[in-house]
Amino acid sequence: MENVLNILFCLTLLYLGTTTRIMAYLNVFVTQGILLFVILILPLFNKFSAYTFILPVMILAVKAVLIPIFIKRKIMLELEVRKSIESDFQQFNFLLLCVFTMITVFVSANMLAKYTLIDSIPFAAAFSTIIIGLYIIIFRKKLIVHVIGFLVMENGIFLLGVSIASEMPFLIELISLLDIFVAVFLMGIAINKISSTFAVDDITGLDELKD
Amino acid sequence: MNILYLLSGLPLASGALFFTFNNLKVKYRLSIFTAGTHLIITYLLFAGFIAPPQNAWFNFDSLTKLFLMILSNVFFWVTANSYKYIKHSPIEKIEKSRQIFYNMTNLYLFANTLALISNHLGLYWVALESTTLCVAPLIYFYRDKESLEAMWKYLFLVSVGLAFAFIGILFLTLSAHGTEFMDNALYITVLVSGASKLNLIWLKAGFIFIFVGLSAKIGIAPIHPGEVDAVSNSPSPVAALISASLGGTALMGVLRILQILSWTSLLQFAQILLIIGGTVSLAVALIFMFRVTNYKRMIAYSSVEHMGIVLIGFGIGGIALTGALLHLIFNSLNKTAFFFMAGNIHRNYKSREIGRIYSLLNNLRWTGILFLISFLAVIAMPPFGLFFSELMLLQGLIANNQFVLMTFIIILLLFIFIGMSRNVFRMLYRTTDKSTRTFNEHFEFSHLSAIVLLCILAGLGIFIPEPLAKIISDVTRLFVHGI
Amino acid sequence: MLTSILIYIFFLASAPLFIGVVNKLKSRLTGRTGPSLFQPYYDLRRLLRKETIYATSASIISRIAPVIGFVSLLFAGMILPIGFYKPLISFDGDIILFAYLFGLARFFQILGAMDIGSSFEGMGAAREATFAVFAEPIYFFTLGSLAFIFGCTSMYEIFHSISLNNPAFLVFISVASISVFFLMITETSRMPVDDPNTHLELTMIHEVMILDNSGLDLFLYQYTSYLKILIYATFTSNFFNPFNVQNHYLGFSIYIMIIFILIVNLVWIETMMGRFKLKSIPQYLLFAASIGILNILVYSFFNK
Repeated sequence: MENVLNILFCLTLLYLGTTTRIMAYLNVFVTQGILLFVILILPLFNKFSAYTFILPVMILAVKAVLIPIFIKRKIMLELEVRKSIESDFQQFNFLLLCVFTMITVFVSANMLAKYTLIDSIPFAAAFSTIIIGLYIIIFRKKLIVHVIGFLVMENGIFLLGVSIASEMPFLIELISLLDIFVAVFLMGIAINKISSTFAVDDITGLDELKD
Repeated sequence: MNILYLLSGLPLASGALFFTFNNLKVKYRLSIFTAGTHLIITYLLFAGFIAPPQNAWFNFDSLTKLFLMILSNVFFWVTANSYKYIKHSPIEKIEKSRQIFYNMTNLYLFANTLALISNHLGLYWVALESTTLCVAPLIYFYRDKESLEAMWKYLFLVSVGLAFAFIGILFLTLSAHGTEFMDNALYITVLVSGASKLNLIWLKAGFIFIFVGLSAKIGIAPIHPGEVDAVSNSPSPVAALISASLGGTALMGVLRILQILSWTSLLQFAQILLIIGGTVSLAVALIFMFRVTNYKRMIAYSSVEHMGIVLIGFGIGGIALTGALLHLIFNSLNKTAFFFMAGNIHRNYKSREIGRIYSLLNNLRWTGILFLISFLAVIAMPPFGLFFSELMLLQGLIANNQFVLMTFIIILLLFIFIGMSRNVFRMLYRTTDKSTRTFNEHFEFSHLSAIVLLCILAGLGIFIPEPLAKIISDVTRLFVHGI
Repeated sequence: MLTSILIYIFFLASAPLFIGVVNKLKSRLTGRTGPSLFQPYYDLRRLLRKETIYATSASIISRIAPVIGFVSLLFAGMILPIGFYKPLISFDGDIILFAYLFGLARFFQILGAMDIGSSFEGMGAAREATFAVFAEPIYFFTLGSLAFIFGCTSMYEIFHSISLNNPAFLVFISVASISVFFLMITETSRMPVDDPNTHLELTMIHEVMILDNSGLDLFLYQYTSYLKILIYATFTSNFFNPFNVQNHYLGFSIYIMIIFILIVNLVWIETMMGRFKLKSIPQYLLFAASIGILNILVYSFFNK
């Protein structure tokens, strides 16, 4: 069942490669949060203790509710963001790049699974999420999209942690979640300030500090 | 246990407390008190007068003590001098920034201390990310366009870098799969003691990711723009904090992994990576030193250069390792003094451009002299300590028969010296006809602290006191042992 | 064997009914009464009575193209499993024959369109050829991954050896059917790839290629297009057959039900969406193909 969720995760990534609307990016992020929640809940069906439920619920709360609400309210409504037009990078090539990346990651994960003990599908899904999050940061121009790309990358890292089944203490995961939330908070404030100062909300204005 | 609370809890408490009131002077005095207490406790730990607490989460070995001493020292001097820079800064619309300055600095001290003393890699990562979050509002102190851009770049680049480092930490956990300490795989002491059983593929991958990720925070090439921009656009206390102490904390993560790797056969590989990273940083610093037009940026690139030298030292090993550790200490002392003087210049000339600074030695007597002396120290002129640490680095290179590399590094250092001195001497001696303002310089506390710091620098170069020597030899023994 | 022939004839006869239902539902959804359910039959009968006229610049291609298209699709229909009945033609490797029968029909349609010499048809032919390039991989990746997993290459075998005890397969198949749905929309030129209602130059892909045909040719082309959409709908419905059930009658009624659900889906999409920009259609198709690629990646490694 876990494999199914990981495949759905990869599908959301492909959708990220296709769409051009910023709201769609946000919706994909919410979907990924919900998928992560389900992935975390699955092994807990036998042991129902309040303690182990804290982390999944927190993840759902932060990733699927708090951060999207924050981004929607603070950024979309305050700025005059054109929600549909997104960037002028070739969309088709981006999707092609994403597909090639996924192929590479899956093949190499499979080769790795022969020599070391990892499950290939969750590892590959997580790693391709990280790389596609990185692509979003590299190839897009709007700052909000950079932030969402960063969040997708963090989702991928979290998925990697879950798939490796490491005994990362819940406290650390929780605090890192909080860290990310505060980081996004700061980034959101910075984006607002950048939009009002530079009068444009993509990275074309951020090139004064160079030699 | 109460040492722990004092060391970490006091900055946290004062940082949180400062959110409740607004009086700058009171905050300043309380911050000095916190910084002083921190310094005293750290020194007592350092000299071995008090025994460190034992706890699975925290690790107080010699590496920690050394870095804590560096952090504490820099923080104390920075806080002691900060009042002048914050109160009378060149731009006036920064009331809000003033209010949060001391809050954020104390929270920064808390986060940084936590990162240094933590034994758990996850806790280390969380604390490191928190230092980024504490420092980012400080970079935005002047609230203008450039500092906004600097803050964004720093926040974003470092967060992405730290995300990569987290992937590396996860790979480290993966390398411990199948061993008996699988459940405790993130404790550094556990990893070090069980290093021979770790899976080499994942260990290698983990090292690469952690090194690349943390290099964004250390401020070495190729991800140096975050740190360089941040340092050149923030007030001098913040710049001193970032370049002198924050780079060290991030470096400690790399060093811990190196410590783990030194028990395996991957040490060669890691050392090669470190040497490559260091040399590229030197080359980058060289290229940009000739193009820089902002003196704070020049000092920032000098930081990049020195961090590169430290990395090369760790890569070579042996006596170069000792040199690298000393270099870290000396660099922190030097940069602090350098940035204080740069802040003075900024305050008086109201500009950061090198082209606008003229006749420094005549106009601002004390600042000019101390600026000159700091510059001489930074380019490793004896008797300042940086000369001796770089000498140790070159000795290490010779001992390893790396003559080509040594020549290359010497040439790079030479040209960095040329580039930097061009700018500095222009600032010091250039005269101009259209000087419209008069300067009057008094001997201030910042000059006194710079003098003290430079004297310590010179003194440590010539004579290393007993506690320091003991700690350094302990640290060396962490990395060098028979495999 | 006899049941298969009967089912096949029923299949052929109900092709126009499918489109009739689609049009009726579409009109209902937009508040009109709409044409009668059997309007396509009346249209076809009307076309049979008309005279077939050829352009003076047309060659033999224009005469044989409609017939070839019609006959290839007839054969393609024979390969397709309907419900649980064994199709008339079934051998190893017939999935490739299926794809290339469609390719043959498309090829001759394009040739026939260009043969007339009008620029309108040429434009439609160019667009058709471009989108076909992107649509082929969808079919091959999806059906190829299925063939890879189950180890057989006959369409009937593939769809009847799936057993749904593994929930992963369930998700895989529903996801693969999305790809095939996209394929259906593209090949039969429905929204959002092409607008079957407007005859404006901006939006035409398929209707423009048959602008100059009349009479028997137009009858053949129209019927071929009705057959095409029914074939694709049946193909999509095969992904949802409850494979554990072996009763033929139950299978057939489930087939009818799934077809109806597909009609509703199609109508809903046609009404709700506008047409995509022409330059973003390749990307849309690449998305569908990448779902197929993802399935291959996952399940080829999963099943080792």
